[in-house]
Amino acid sequence: MNSAVQARDKDVTRFRTRLFTAMMVIVATLTALGLYLAQRKVTADAERNLQQSFQAELSSLHKLEELRHAALADRCNALVTKSRIHAAIEDNAIDLLYPSAKDELRDLMEGEEPPPEEAAQSLHAKFYRFLDSKGAVIKPLNPLDVGELDAETEAQLALDKLPDKQQIGYVQQNTPNGGGFIDEVIAVPIFSTDTGDVISALVIGFKPLEVEAKHTGMKSGIWANGQLHLPALPTSTQASLNNKLAGELADADKSENYFRVDVGDAPQLLFYKRLNPASLFPPAYEICVYPLADSMAQLHRLRWQIGGAGALLLLAGFVASHLVALRLSAPVKKLALDSEENRARRKRAEAALVSAAQDLERSTRYSADASHQLKSPVTVFRIGLESLLGREDFKPEVYEELSTLLHQTHRLTSVIEDLLLLSRMDAGHLQIASDPVDLSQLVNEWLDDLDALPESPDVKIEKEFSTGLFIAGEKRYTSLIVQNLLENARKYNRPGGRIRVSAHGNGSNVVLTIGNTGGTIPPGENIFERFHHSSTPSAASGHGIGLNLARELARLHGGDLRLVRSGNDWTEFEVRFSAVDGVNGVA
Amino acid sequence: MRLRGLLWLNAVLPTLPVALLASAAVEGRVELPKSHSAPVQAKRYEVVTKGGVLSTQPPLAVVYLEGAFPQSTSLPTKQVRQKDLTFVPSLLPVRVGTTVEFPNLDDTYHNIFSYSPAKRFDLGRYRQDDRPIPAQVFDKPGLVILRCDIHEHMRGLILVLNTPHFVMTDTSGHFRLEGLPVGHYTLKAWIDSRTTREKPVDLKSGQTLHVDFP
Repeated sequence: MNSAVQARDKDVTRFRTRLFTAMMVIVATLTALGLYLAQRKVTADAERNLQQSFQAELSSLHKLEELRHAALADRCNALVTKSRIHAAIEDNAIDLLYPSAKDELRDLMEGEEPPPEEAAQSLHAKFYRFLDSKGAVIKPLNPLDVGELDAETEAQLALDKLPDKQQIGYVQQNTPNGGGFIDEVIAVPIFSTDTGDVISALVIGFKPLEVEAKHTGMKSGIWANGQLHLPALPTSTQASLNNKLAGELADADKSENYFRVDVGDAPQLLFYKRLNPASLFPPAYEICVYPLADSMAQLHRLRWQIGGAGALLLLAGFVASHLVALRLSAPVKKLALDSEENRARRKRAEAALVSAAQDLERSTRYSADASHQLKSPVTVFRIGLESLLGREDFKPEVYEELSTLLHQTHRLTSVIEDLLLLSRMDAGHLQIASDPVDLSQLVNEWLDDLDALPESPDVKIEKEFSTGLFIAGEKRYTSLIVQNLLENARKYNRPGGRIRVSAHGNGSNVVLTIGNTGGTIPPGENIFERFHHSSTPSAASGHGIGLNLARELARLHGGDLRLVRSGNDWTEFEVRFSAVDGVNGVA
Repeated sequence: MRLRGLLWLNAVLPTLPVALLASAAVEGRVELPKSHSAPVQAKRYEVVTKGGVLSTQPPLAVVYLEGAFPQSTSLPTKQVRQKDLTFVPSLLPVRVGTTVEFPNLDDTYHNIFSYSPAKRFDLGRYRQDDRPIPAQVFDKPGLVILRCDIHEHMRGLILVLNTPHFVMTDTSGHFRLEGLPVGHYTLKAWIDSRTTREKPVDLKSGQTLHVDFP
């Protein structure tokens, strides 16, 4: 029993473990999913925010540029209508171009550099050059007047052909100390007022407008001529970024995009956008590098939060699963207990049943065997007695003795046959046919036999039944029942007594009642028990099978046999048979 | 005036022996570009640019005899006036060495200048009553494009020629050059800044050669 309890506890523990594991898996999955989604959302949000920020900053830059470009266009349109500029270009007096323009563009070049917020409006140029009809730079006579440029930088101003609209470009100037900076140049076409043709172009160089850093930590620069200029970053970082950009920008179709880079150890989002789409100048890109530190911190925070929530959930899940397991396992426990008891009980019942069945089988086999074993010697015995009786050399008293012995062998045979019948019934081998049997005739025949029996006491027989009462059954067995009851009625009668036999149909049954005078059967005595012997000493005694056999047979016929009453010198048995449909009718 | 002269010549020439004049003449017609603008009521000539080519409107040509001629010491001073924001005349042929005055007849400032290779000058701003009248000596042959720094549309042309023998055609292209030396020369017709036609001529004393520039 102790091991059973242990096993039960183990079962419950296993169930609880399984439940908790399932919950843990669910919670862990949810947490992981939450983390993944949150991470994706934070990353996407950060990227979108930064992208918007980049776009906003670029668009503000773009607006400033447009202002500057519009102002420049105005200036250039005014400039080219100037007679001297025209005269210089049209009348092949290139040498007079710069001197002529000097006065016109004086305000562009003079004065202090304006503060950045006014840079767009003030049109403060660093240098300017004219392009000739082939797009080559017209060398100024006095570079001091038009902003000095080294030959390398000046060469970058040339175009393959004269533009017919404003072109934006970015030129790189290297400083002697190895550094460099980028200047924005705007090439404005000069149209002949006479012919409308583009006769020249004015290329004006400006300090590039800077993206206003609304976003903290944002660093902006320009990628031009295959070189990144982002002074806020260290040179080595610029070089590594430059390589990445060169690969990315090799595909000229991409005018705008972003990607992640690591500057130092800090992750950054690098945005780029072409500054001069469709320009005759080489492509240049605005580069903005945004630190992802904020979003990383946010992500970190969120990770902790979600992780913490997951852990809490797990803890709660642990407690909940514990409780649930306890609650769930209680009935399981009970069930286990109950089923164990049931099992034990069933086992016991089964064992009892098995032993009973074995007993029964044994006894049945025994009685069957015994009957068979007995029958043959009795037959031999009887035939011996009969042949002795056939001899004529014995004294008369020997014949009488032999006759009594022969009578006893007959009785013995009937007992054996009864036992055989009983054992067959017990073994369930007895099949009762359901034929119409004329009960009236059967009873009459047996009553006649009863009269014919020797040494029959002086009893009076009363018959109270009509003829033609048919019952369903097999004649030899119904006959056995009737014989048994009538023999008992005679056997246990008193001298001068009477036997009354009555029968009547009762619905679907036919009830046969046999009563006799004589000693009473004491109450509580089970006369239907097999091998029963009366507690009251009596001269007439049976072998104790008859009533048992009769009742078993009655029951096999779908009826029953019972003792109706016994007392006051009157004992009455009632046997019930099934009536044969349509033969007796409804009485 | 010129027409009357021509008529007079036509009347006189048959009666006079040509040899007595000891000089030759050339007459003919220059095929002028078609004028696309409506006839100008007031005879106002302007210099226009078409495809970078300057010409007068309505079209006029200058016919001149090219050759080596002795320098003249005293040349009459010519004038290109600024009147109603145009140059008058719009096209002036002059001999090398001629002084041209640029009187301002308008009520506004003018600033006449030229960046032409033949003559670069800048008269600066001046008014009607500024004296002396700004003037320039044109000492190199070629086309001088006159511009005004203040009035960008103003264009004038001075054709500086290395010959004393030149004449402007009338609006239909007819011309006549008289008093030409005898001999082999090249007769040229300046039609616009990019077009000058030429024909060799063999001038004989007393003869009037007929030359047409198609």
